[in-house]
Amino acid sequence: MAGELERNFAILREKADPPAYFLAYAITENDVASVSASYGALTGQSANRSRALDVTVRVGSRALDNYRAVRGERFNFTLGSPVALDNEPRAIRTRLWLDTDQVYRQAAERLIKIKTNTQVRVAAEDTSADFSEESPATHREEARPLDFPAEQWAARLRKISSILARHPEILTSSVSASAQREMKYLVTSEGARLQHGRGFARVVLNASTRAGDGMNLFAGETFEAVNSSGLPDDRALESAAAKVAKQLVALLHAPVAEPFVGPAILSGRASGVFFHEIFGHRIEGHRQKDDTEGQTFTKSVGGPVLPAFLSVLFDPTRRKEGQIDLNGWYAFDDEGVPAQPVRVVDNGILKAFLVSRTPIAGFPKSNGHGRRQPGREVVSRQSNLIVESSHQVSDKELRKMLIGEIKRQNKPYGLYFEQVTGGFTTTARAALQAFKVIPIVVYRVYPDGRPDELIRGVDIVGTPLASFAKILATSNRVEVFNGYCGAESGSVPVAAVSPAILVSEIEIEKKATSQDRPPLLPAPSAKEERP
Amino acid sequence: MSKWCWLLWTAALWGQTADDPVLRAMRDEAARAAQLRLPTLESPYFTEISLDDGRSVSAAATLGALVRSAENRYRLPRVQVRVGSYEFDNGNYAGSAFPFAGRYDVGGFPLDDAYAAMRRVFWLALDQTYKSSVEAIARKRAALKSVTVPDQLPDFHRAEPFRLVEPIRLAGVDRSAWEARVKALSAIFHGFPAALASGVEFEDIQNVHYLVNSEGTEIRVLERVAYVRARARAQAGDGMFLHDAVSFYAKDGAELIGDPAIPRAIAHLAEALTALAQAPMGETYSGPVLIEGSAAPQFFAQVLGKNLSLFRRPVVEPGRTPAFPANELEGRIGSRILPEWMDVVDDPTQAEWRGRKLFGHYRADMEGVPPEPLSIVEKGVLKNFPLTRQPQRGSTKSNGRARLPGPFGNYVAGFGNLFVQARETVPAGELRRKLLEMVAARGKPYGLIIRKLDFPASSSFDELRRTLGAAGRGAPVSAPVLAYRVYPDGREELVRGLRFRTVSVRTLRDIQAAADDAHALDFLDNGAPLALLGAGGYVAECTVVSPSVLIDDVDLERIEGELPKRPVTPPPV
Repeated sequence: MAGELERNFAILREKADPPAYFLAYAITENDVASVSASYGALTGQSANRSRALDVTVRVGSRALDNYRAVRGERFNFTLGSPVALDNEPRAIRTRLWLDTDQVYRQAAERLIKIKTNTQVRVAAEDTSADFSEESPATHREEARPLDFPAEQWAARLRKISSILARHPEILTSSVSASAQREMKYLVTSEGARLQHGRGFARVVLNASTRAGDGMNLFAGETFEAVNSSGLPDDRALESAAAKVAKQLVALLHAPVAEPFVGPAILSGRASGVFFHEIFGHRIEGHRQKDDTEGQTFTKSVGGPVLPAFLSVLFDPTRRKEGQIDLNGWYAFDDEGVPAQPVRVVDNGILKAFLVSRTPIAGFPKSNGHGRRQPGREVVSRQSNLIVESSHQVSDKELRKMLIGEIKRQNKPYGLYFEQVTGGFTTTARAALQAFKVIPIVVYRVYPDGRPDELIRGVDIVGTPLASFAKILATSNRVEVFNGYCGAESGSVPVAAVSPAILVSEIEIEKKATSQDRPPLLPAPSAKEERP
Repeated sequence: MSKWCWLLWTAALWGQTADDPVLRAMRDEAARAAQLRLPTLESPYFTEISLDDGRSVSAAATLGALVRSAENRYRLPRVQVRVGSYEFDNGNYAGSAFPFAGRYDVGGFPLDDAYAAMRRVFWLALDQTYKSSVEAIARKRAALKSVTVPDQLPDFHRAEPFRLVEPIRLAGVDRSAWEARVKALSAIFHGFPAALASGVEFEDIQNVHYLVNSEGTEIRVLERVAYVRARARAQAGDGMFLHDAVSFYAKDGAELIGDPAIPRAIAHLAEALTALAQAPMGETYSGPVLIEGSAAPQFFAQVLGKNLSLFRRPVVEPGRTPAFPANELEGRIGSRILPEWMDVVDDPTQAEWRGRKLFGHYRADMEGVPPEPLSIVEKGVLKNFPLTRQPQRGSTKSNGRARLPGPFGNYVAGFGNLFVQARETVPAGELRRKLLEMVAARGKPYGLIIRKLDFPASSSFDELRRTLGAAGRGAPVSAPVLAYRVYPDGREELVRGLRFRTVSVRTLRDIQAAADDAHALDFLDNGAPLALLGAGGYVAECTVVSPSVLIDDVDLERIEGELPKRPVTPPPV
């Protein structure tokens, strides 16, 4: 890689017009194995090895190059081409050379267009440069080999999936397990030479059914670890399956939620997703520079954005929270910048954004958050989001505070969000700058001591600034949400660590629902015999 | 072989008894589907369940290094539920295949022969399809209240129940041997620096096709497809990219692994591409063209074969006038489309021809209908079309040619083994002499011989789009790869950058003579234009056999357009 990089860079710098001033080759090597099962039968099994190449060519200068954001225009230079799995120099060099040529052409073409554009358009508000200066890193580390006993997992999942099959009310269910070993190689014309990686392992349980009124209902659980050996044992999976089944059956019989505004508690995991969607995406650096973005916080640095008892940290160097492996750690980001903790909010005051090597006003250096999926261009992305609170109470006390708030507001009930699957948010100016978080398990909490009541068909909606002002307190126990976040630069692994939060006001709406009836015929009997 | 492929590649034998759990699950759920009923709405009159139970081993290499290697096991179910009657049902409507009813998220289909788990998937699939079908027929009726369809055809042909349940014997595939083979084949390109980008891929698919319908048809057959493909790209001095590919197909992969013709053909491909990169640009040409060797079946596959699939216009809601493809041969039964000394027969029942295995052989089509030999053209006159169970004007039943899934829930009709035959032939060398005679008679400086077309297309997506853009009515025709000017003194000169202009079914009537040779082309048809190599989804095995032909008045033009610059950096090594 380094040899071909030097050969290509020397020529592109000397002989090409416009000349290149930066060249990088990144190869992402993935070994992935997975198994899935449903109703006691295997439904999928695969094992794959792949290597993908990302080429970065920068033409122009650090002040203005082909990566300049122009009015929200999307561009993708890299091709994410498959690369030889054998370490056969000639095959790899040929691929590097071909992609370099193609990426260079597009880079040169866009730079010429941008130069025309910057002369015509009014000056953008943020006039920072396009590429930061960083000292090139050198590091060599092998990730642990992939360890995924597929046969054992197949047998285990057959067993676990039959637990979900025991409930006739459930229409579909599945369990899958996967493990991945990801190695990243990066060489740059600045001299960076990196080789590092990590493992990912995951178990996902899913079940769905359809209520009599046509509403589709889901329940599920996921477990993440760095290696498959860190995944839960059979007993834990069996009890998770039983819990998912119980939850879905309960949902089937739960009343439909009504639109509601009132106080609520979000569990630690729900709150983690809430912060990731509503807060995290809005402090991604590149959004501060793009005039088509909502720029909720662009000019708030140094000012209060959250209640004073809350701080938010992004820490890709933190590998575990308690016993749980965090999904969002890495040693170097995808531009070769060492991972580093970034305290973005300190006691309610906005201090920083997540920055890649694309500088933004006031932040000329990367803080190691330039990330991507192979085949996409790097932008600033979240890592491990950690919510810290100085106003912590016990879970019990938090609940007491919720009931107090219900009474104070004279509401019939409050809400408890136990589990959410994820959510989405729009940050663009031209769109509704709102968010939606999709809860699965939500309870009504009554002030009169009645047991909590599960409800179905809920979406949380809101607008970001209003939501944060309403956080009253947090619990003293954190939970972890591990997941994958999809945005401009593709899917990247992330985590959110947060205590439960009490909010004085949250808005829920009715979920869109289908008009479809449940199946017309009863489920086939497993025991039906041939005549 | 790596340790995780424990399940897949032990040779297996089953199905000697009637108790195949797959068939049993299909049969039991298809039978139960007759009871599907929504209040005030009709029950199904026809139900079909099919399952493709496939195992694939594939590998790809470039310049001696492996790029991809995979083993896959899949089971893909398809269900069809028809409500109404054979005369009028939910089919042949623009919304026929639309999933009006919400889907159940069943995830994957069981890979284990788990009877109960399989039935559940069929149960839910039939339920959602039934709900969509009753919605479709209601909408179709509503649409017909405000649009008039001239002489409405019936919606579905009846078919005799057909039972073909074969014992299944899966072959073992040696993945590591194939990895080594594609690596070795791809290393051939090391010797040809003009081939800038190159690759060789291999795949072996063994698919057990199951089909059960409510009329009593039951199918279980092993469908096998294996191929080796090599492709390469070169760049001419003026920047023009040149592509070429060579493919080998067989039902049994073992026939391909040691085939000495494959490395020879790859070396030949690399040589030809090297020559092409240095060849002069062709010029616009109008006149006689000799379509020789394997170019002849490539030509007939497209100009005749692809135009044999009829398209029936579905009922469309008023106010919507989507553009549907036109078919050049529609309504021309009884008309002359070839010289009177030519015949065309499609015979999927034939497994061998002159000691050569025929790739397009099959015993039941996608609707479970067995094919019979079909005379397509007799003495130059169009006699029959390949048909599915979808009624067409003048048709009375399927002739077992449902080869690929098509739009609006229908299947696309296609041929299996298409034999293009000439009653009057001349020796192959004579054809070339005739070409030169015609050239001399017209005072032309040279004639053209085409020895290879880019079919199935190996071109880039951009080039494919240009080819399609340039096509008129009917099926598009891919560009020649190897076109030679032949001068009156017999000298030949390779030229590049030509494509056909206005070649269509009408061109077939300008065939002047056919040689006494016969060339066979195997290929995998798919839903993509020009059977684009590697286009995903369902595939149909096809063979075309035809003689070399001399055609008059063929127009070719230069491919125009901006040419990319050559790379700034020279190639490595």
